[in-house]
Amino acid sequence: MDLVDLIAEKRFLGQEFLTWLWWKSEERGGVVALPGEGDIVVVFEKHMLLEYGEGDSNESLICRGLQTELQEARTGLVMGKKLEQARIQLGFNDYEWSFTMAAALMEFRNVKLPKTGAESGNDNDPEEREGMVLERIYLFEELVRVVLGLFRVFLQIRVSADWRDELQKMRAWVLRAEKG
Amino acid sequence: MGFVKGTASYVRFGVDGELPENIWDFIADRVSSFAFRDIDETYEEDSLGWVSVTNMFDTNFEFASYAAGNYVTLTMRLDERKVSAVIVKKFVQKEEERIKKEKQIPKISRSMRVEIKERIQNELMRKSLPMPSVFDLCWNLENATLLFFSTNKKAQALLEDLFKESFGLNLIQQIPYICGEHILDEDAIDKLARITPDVFV
Repeated sequence: MDLVDLIAEKRFLGQEFLTWLWWKSEERGGVVALPGEGDIVVVFEKHMLLEYGEGDSNESLICRGLQTELQEARTGLVMGKKLEQARIQLGFNDYEWSFTMAAALMEFRNVKLPKTGAESGNDNDPEEREGMVLERIYLFEELVRVVLGLFRVFLQIRVSADWRDELQKMRAWVLRAEKG
Repeated sequence: MGFVKGTASYVRFGVDGELPENIWDFIADRVSSFAFRDIDETYEEDSLGWVSVTNMFDTNFEFASYAAGNYVTLTMRLDERKVSAVIVKKFVQKEEERIKKEKQIPKISRSMRVEIKERIQNELMRKSLPMPSVFDLCWNLENATLLFFSTNKKAQALLEDLFKESFGLNLIQQIPYICGEHILDEDAIDKLARITPDVFV
């Protein structure tokens, strides 16, 4: 299958992951356990984009607000919409990133890197500049590594027999949102 | 804003293919062969090539400035001459009116109209100044992965072509499904290929 078809056919995978991550983070009050790494702080905040339908009939719904006000987004899930984008705060090892995940293609948008204090270095000194560049690369890649770690946890459940159970719990959570 | 400073948006690619043994010599040679060429003083429509991530006028990369540890950091620069369709239309009509008057003819033939449009478009293109756009990348040589700091689809397509031309390597966008193939074991990958979308209600 070529990449264009693969993107269209497997679009749901990233979107299901993002929805699962939202539920998982709410299940434990904003923390998701990553085996071998410990607890990762994952907070969904302010901005979400849901989509419905495919191709030309594609519609989207943007929800903004504080965490507790994302009720509308959950109601969107009840209507069968898919979570495509979410603004996430992710904390791990004293680092804190803020970024928007675009789920279908796994794009990292408007990534705000953790503050490290190295920003004040001297731009004109090649060695210091290389150090700053390497630090930024490390922080960009570390975010990818942690997100892929969470994605692996999701996939392992998604392809296993446990997925039915997980799905039931997620459905109950979505429906609770509608009643709440 | 972007790779070197401020907030950034990026996508991940896998780099597919073999690099020669003398990696850094090869990269130095290829980067300079495909460095950006300025078109400010020419009439060329566009130009695409590599520049330094810290200075879009630096195409010399002194002391291999693109190298940072085991990474190659480059900026893809595209300069393009563009003329808006409204402006082309205006000047084509103006020219048609002038010719009608000059030749004392009521109508302009289809073939002449095509010729006028082409000529006007070329003239306007030559007068317009090239618009620059820059896109950063960071290539991890150890893992054969690449972060590209733009979510623009046209820029991504240009990158795939320029990268292939420069280094003879293919870039494969790491969409979730392809990431899955890299992080799961064989048995799980088989299962992954078979799953279908689920609804959450």
